[in-house]
Amino acid sequence: MHEELLYWQALNRALDIAMAKDSSVFTLGEDVGLFGGTYRVTEGLYSKYGEVRVRDTPISENSFTGLGVGSAMVGMRPVVEIMTVNFALLALDAIINMAAKIPFMSGGQYAMPLVIRMPGGVAKQLGAQHSQRLEHTLMNVPGIRIAVPVTPQDAYEQLTQAINSNDPIILLEHELLYFTKGVLDSTKEQLPIHRALVRRPGKHLTMISYSRHVLLCLEAAEQLAQQGIDVEVIDLRSLSPIDWDTCMQSLEHTHRLLVVEEDCRFAGAGAEIISQLTERCFFALDEPPIRVAGLDLPTPFNEQLEAASIPQVEDIVTAAQRFRYPS
Amino acid sequence: MKYEITLPVLSDTMNTGRLARWLKLPGDKIQKGDIIAEMESDKAIMEVEAFHSGYLAGPLAPVDTDIPVGQVIGYICDEPVPNNIVEASKKMPDTSTTLASEKQPTKAAKTIPQTTEQQTVEITPSAPYSNISMPQNIPLVPGKRIASPHARALALKLGIDLSHVPPGEDGRILAEDVLAVIHRSPTLNLEAGPPYHLEKLTLMQQAVANNMIATITTPTFRTTAQFSLATLKKIAKQKQYSLTLLLASACAKTIKTLPQFNAVYSPEGMAHRERVDVGIAVDVPGGLLTPVLRDAAERPIDELAEDWRILKDKIKRQRLTQQDYEGATFYLSNLGVFPVVHSFDALVPLGAAAILAIGAEQNGQCLFTLSCDHRVVSGAESARFLTILQEHLQQPETLPYV
Repeated sequence: MHEELLYWQALNRALDIAMAKDSSVFTLGEDVGLFGGTYRVTEGLYSKYGEVRVRDTPISENSFTGLGVGSAMVGMRPVVEIMTVNFALLALDAIINMAAKIPFMSGGQYAMPLVIRMPGGVAKQLGAQHSQRLEHTLMNVPGIRIAVPVTPQDAYEQLTQAINSNDPIILLEHELLYFTKGVLDSTKEQLPIHRALVRRPGKHLTMISYSRHVLLCLEAAEQLAQQGIDVEVIDLRSLSPIDWDTCMQSLEHTHRLLVVEEDCRFAGAGAEIISQLTERCFFALDEPPIRVAGLDLPTPFNEQLEAASIPQVEDIVTAAQRFRYPS
Repeated sequence: MKYEITLPVLSDTMNTGRLARWLKLPGDKIQKGDIIAEMESDKAIMEVEAFHSGYLAGPLAPVDTDIPVGQVIGYICDEPVPNNIVEASKKMPDTSTTLASEKQPTKAAKTIPQTTEQQTVEITPSAPYSNISMPQNIPLVPGKRIASPHARALALKLGIDLSHVPPGEDGRILAEDVLAVIHRSPTLNLEAGPPYHLEKLTLMQQAVANNMIATITTPTFRTTAQFSLATLKKIAKQKQYSLTLLLASACAKTIKTLPQFNAVYSPEGMAHRERVDVGIAVDVPGGLLTPVLRDAAERPIDELAEDWRILKDKIKRQRLTQQDYEGATFYLSNLGVFPVVHSFDALVPLGAAAILAIGAEQNGQCLFTLSCDHRVVSGAESARFLTILQEHLQQPETLPYV
């Protein structure tokens, strides 16, 4: 069954289906109930499932995330919505010290079927405190998984899989993706949640990205194709774990690596990706890998400075042109 | 003010050069136009001139190492720079520090201690802010090849010695450069024979190799004739001229009669040269050189003899320049001084139509082998050339200088 819908609608659909199917699934967070969610992800669910299963919480991230952790320990399947990653800073104790560690420290006696959804990234002039990415912090926490859906299809699939999983999973969404459109085929066989996807095959350069910047990479790849540079774009879909096999297979035939990330370059996702791939397929590399990343500074408020602080399509094109390609 | 001294480009074909020695030391006062170093190009030792006045400052590039043209080899500063950052080149005496300070005027010497600290502490500007991470410019280490991991793995797998892989224009060897070698020719497998050691090619050996490989595609034929050199020898002895010089002159006169021998094939058309310039192969230690006698058909023999003397002197002093050895339209190679050689043939160098190879005299007769580019001249023309040359040699009255 094919239908075209928005990213938030795909998430809403996944949540609706999961809640209808399993009474242990519930969602909680700021404004998820009456208001229907800041980005409309829980729209219509309050009237359908009531105030217990669609639960508005006080503005206290560590408390309601901790509530999610506790309910997961006793067999519920909570889907916590944190309004943006910026506020997740307050919930890091619940995420890092509890959700990530309880299954380990209990010797597996407690499962952690917890989902935490939150959007991150630079949106439109929200200022430095509301324009962060937290993947560099979260990737460094053993015990949690991070999914980064780009398309409505992936948003639907990965949220569904996350709810069904017994591991704590963070769904990193992007504020600018909620109103992007795409086709949803809910009958399609689903990829494993951590599997990377080659969004565009190519033979000259492997471009690895995740979240919204995959779309920018695809745009850059089209421009580069006009110049005879055939780019393979890989959408990681998961930042923890990372599907190295798909990346390595690509590098074995392109021999060039460009990583594009919105997050700051220093100690970021790109650093890990390049480091691991250099270890794993050093002898496939024909040139030093390049990162296109956010600048190492708080996101400026000024519109032009904000745009300049994160990679744009032109930056990706320029970076790709720095490689020497076989003539 | 600090001026860079860069390795000059001394010939069109030169990509790297080697410094033979530094003639000045760091701290030495330099006048614009002074010769500060000597360098080795493809074939000759050349002088490196200062383009600014001031004081020589390091770090100076090392001697006897391949350096890409245009690379900075040292600096000239308005003020003498203390020597602590100077990397003394190997051939330089270890006393360079004292030498430099001794030579400085006392006033300058006094100011040095105060300025030392300030001048050496340089604040490195932070990298420009960019979204794009950049591999730092890969320094081209003279004589060392930078190859990518993939290129190395490929070379290992294919049994290719990376030192035989010409790097790309950026100076690096990537996989495509390794593959280009495979597609070009079968590779030499040094491991198949007895043990060996590698000796680095001199610039001259490399230049000779490149020039010879360039002649492979020339369709060549050879014509051999036998005649006596006795008359010419007699004249050479009487007039105290070199026999080679007289032979070159006789060839030039012959070409005047048969101008097609002064033409060069090019895909754009046959290039007919307006002057006969004869290149003469000369045996030198470690290779060969071809000094050129310009306008050998028209100029008086005394002038040519003086040119020849100067050329031979330059060869002896390793000062032959590109202008001295390039662009001959006809070549001469004489192995007559080796009595056992009765004949041989030579490769027609690029840019010429023919080369004449002369063996040693046997029973009063010599064998002359003319190798010709068949795109330019025919067999009959080569026969005519040898016939006319013989007339000139045996009836020397046809030559103006007799």
